[in-house]
Amino acid sequence: MDLVASLTNSNHNDEYKQLIAEKQNVFEGISEIDNTEYEIKLRPGAIEQFVQSVLSYSSKYNSISSILYAPENLIGKPSKYPMYGDFPDTYLLRSYGKWWKESEAAQPEYMPHDVDPIPSEDFVTVRFEYAVFPKDVFIYETYHPGAVVRIWGRKYGNPWNLLWKGPPQTCPVASRKYSPPIRQIKELINELRIEFNQSHLRYHTSLDAILLTGFRPKSLLQMTILQKGLLDTFVKESCERREQLQCFNDDGVDLFCNLPFEVMVHIFQYLDLKSLCRCAQVNKKWYFVSLDPALYRAISLKKYWHKVDNKIIQDFMNKCKNVKKLDLSWCSNEKQIKEVVFVQFLEQCCKNITHLSLDCCSFINTIVLGEIGKCNDLTDLRLRNCKRSVKDFGPLAQLHKLTALDLCSSCITDEQLINILKANTNLKHLIIDFCDYLETLDQVAETVSMFNPYLVTWSSWKTLSFTSEGIGHLARCSYLRELDLGWCLILNEPANCIEKISLGCKDLRRLIISGWRGVNDHLLLPLIRSCKQLTQLDLLGIKNISSDICERILASLPKLTLLDISFCDLIKTEQVLIWREQYPNVVIQH
Amino acid sequence: MFRRQYRELIGLDVDGVDSMVVRAEVEVVKDRELVRDRVTRVKASGSGSSGVAEACAKPCFTIVDGVADGVGGWRAYGIDPGEFSLHLMQTCERLVGIGRFTPSNPSELLARSYYELLQHKKAILGSSTACVVVLNKENCMLYTANIGDSGFMVVRHGKVIHKSEEQQHYFNTPFQLSLPPPGYQANVLSDQPDSAITNNFPVEDGDVILVATDGVFDNLPQSLLIKELCKVQGERCASRLQTVANSIAWMARNLSFDETFISPFAESAFANGINTIGGKPDDITVILATVAI
Repeated sequence: MDLVASLTNSNHNDEYKQLIAEKQNVFEGISEIDNTEYEIKLRPGAIEQFVQSVLSYSSKYNSISSILYAPENLIGKPSKYPMYGDFPDTYLLRSYGKWWKESEAAQPEYMPHDVDPIPSEDFVTVRFEYAVFPKDVFIYETYHPGAVVRIWGRKYGNPWNLLWKGPPQTCPVASRKYSPPIRQIKELINELRIEFNQSHLRYHTSLDAILLTGFRPKSLLQMTILQKGLLDTFVKESCERREQLQCFNDDGVDLFCNLPFEVMVHIFQYLDLKSLCRCAQVNKKWYFVSLDPALYRAISLKKYWHKVDNKIIQDFMNKCKNVKKLDLSWCSNEKQIKEVVFVQFLEQCCKNITHLSLDCCSFINTIVLGEIGKCNDLTDLRLRNCKRSVKDFGPLAQLHKLTALDLCSSCITDEQLINILKANTNLKHLIIDFCDYLETLDQVAETVSMFNPYLVTWSSWKTLSFTSEGIGHLARCSYLRELDLGWCLILNEPANCIEKISLGCKDLRRLIISGWRGVNDHLLLPLIRSCKQLTQLDLLGIKNISSDICERILASLPKLTLLDISFCDLIKTEQVLIWREQYPNVVIQH
Repeated sequence: MFRRQYRELIGLDVDGVDSMVVRAEVEVVKDRELVRDRVTRVKASGSGSSGVAEACAKPCFTIVDGVADGVGGWRAYGIDPGEFSLHLMQTCERLVGIGRFTPSNPSELLARSYYELLQHKKAILGSSTACVVVLNKENCMLYTANIGDSGFMVVRHGKVIHKSEEQQHYFNTPFQLSLPPPGYQANVLSDQPDSAITNNFPVEDGDVILVATDGVFDNLPQSLLIKELCKVQGERCASRLQTVANSIAWMARNLSFDETFISPFAESAFANGINTIGGKPDDITVILATVAI
């Protein structure tokens, strides 16, 4: 209002200009504004809003039901910013650095020639109360910032728009309010999807809040005016493109077509999916070559999650004959793919499929699992983050060649898992993190020790029903190299299970026993004596371990590269600094 | 016994770390129509639906108050006794804030909060009594859950409508939620969150609700307490509530140091065959609220 008033009065013209300049400065300078002030002045008509609800996510530190370190902590105003640290009331991502990718159980790349230069490793989707024309997005990062690589926006029900994309950032050790320059789209949005790449970070990253600012149209007229500008520019763009295409088509003879069909197919094998689709549009011959099923033995659509729907899958159905590896992770977070279509695809094109990954796919249900159970050749199955309503994993027991099984965050029950384990005696990697329906893990471990002698990886992070005796069973798996038992024995006595494991699994490379409050120096001694191959050791949150034992760990484990002793109260920071200098090859988290 | 030692030690803890000392912080939340006086650790409001999304969309229909009193004996074991109770209540507050609770089931809230403590990266150890009351404005019901000797009292026109029962294993040893240090499990009393006494009853406009630690109930005779609470029957002015809350806390504090006074604690001790006289210096926390519908 005061803007209008000053406009009409020419005497105040300078004042008005100044005011405008000020307001603009506020916007341009927002990223540098000192950290303590997070009240942002806005132009008239603009609103700012914090997250109203969290819709989905791919990674979480704590168990499903817990609110500590949970994505729900993004809701509302920042609670910790501008403080910096590892706070339980912020959203903490589970993985960081290269450690998870270096695990033997990590999913291999299905299409090594179609890898994103800046791959997104995790995502979180949030909703805001009002749909706005976005102006700025502020991300409040309170611990190890710098992992945000993409920001998507949309109005519920519409396709996603990429608002910003950039490489992960190297940041100083301080909290920050990150506001990358987002694309000014003339579309209303009320949902944001933030994607992360934590591979360069030294430790877990955590987010406190997300602020979306923008213009909220007050009337339909205002809205149409704001959008119309966009339509014009769009028309122009497509015209330009068409002109370019025409120029291209005028160009003479296609020498490439003289190559034999097989040679062309061979060359095409090195192309990523996007290029293949482009090639298909060149001419008839290229089109037929691009349809060759040999090009679609391994498909990974995770990178293209925002484009994938029923039609795309049906399209692939025409090209694919014999898919061996299929990754549809993230592609159907909101049922973009119907289960009928997927089942049909699986039946027609994936008879001999060996690798299947369906992270965050909402179409998974009993029917789909039944169909997956019929894929006899499956060796690598990853069903991370499937819906909590899926309870019947029974059909998976029909598989018998599995070597890797990832059921992270699923509701599988003991009986179903035991049946799967009994049927797949060659199993090497088992990931059952966050599976809170497993009530007798001791029995599961006993089954593993009897039926799966070749087990290399056992990961049961944040499961609740283990006892010391049950963990002891794992000692019979002598090939075991990676053991993630984080938070499995919070208050229970560890008794002699560490000793048993140390003696039984001499080849152990990675051991995670974070949150085992009952561990003390004495219990760790057998580990130091026997497991000389150990490279990673996570002792986070163990109150009773002393500097002495850490000293011995560092001195007597020559291959150690990672030691996490955060929240170990008895170990002093000064001591850690000395160790860091003394053992430069070991990353010590404290 | 192990437990008795704590309670003896607690006598030294007046205004200690494990007490949220009487703080004169007032919050008047007009749209929630409840004038409250805060002298303690938790107060939060939410709609109480289990879904996170609805919690913010709907107006707030419930108001939650609670106190937790840490067991001071843990200091001898190098454990800050205030940490457990503080985190317990903070977690309650956050659970309510994001709507992860059922208004009609405050004991579930306590249980959830307790299990969350286990999952902290930082090892939180200690033990605590706890009392949570939830006012549901939709049906004018008060839902309560109580473990141990902290408690609540509802007064209407000078009459006690409801008072919490103390839960004790034996004299001066209340029920308590606890996370003992590893190796001590066998020696320490630990009650499950589901052992909380729960209750629900209707309240009326103007009712006075007092939630306090045992430091109040052990030192102030009920008659005196009722006299004070009568002063704020139907009171909607926050500062007057504050005054009364302050005076209750001060009276309790002064009486606790009075060595000749026959306090409710001394009476109870006498009934248990222990000859003692005087008040019981302890942590004092008072939350006072009136129902305004």
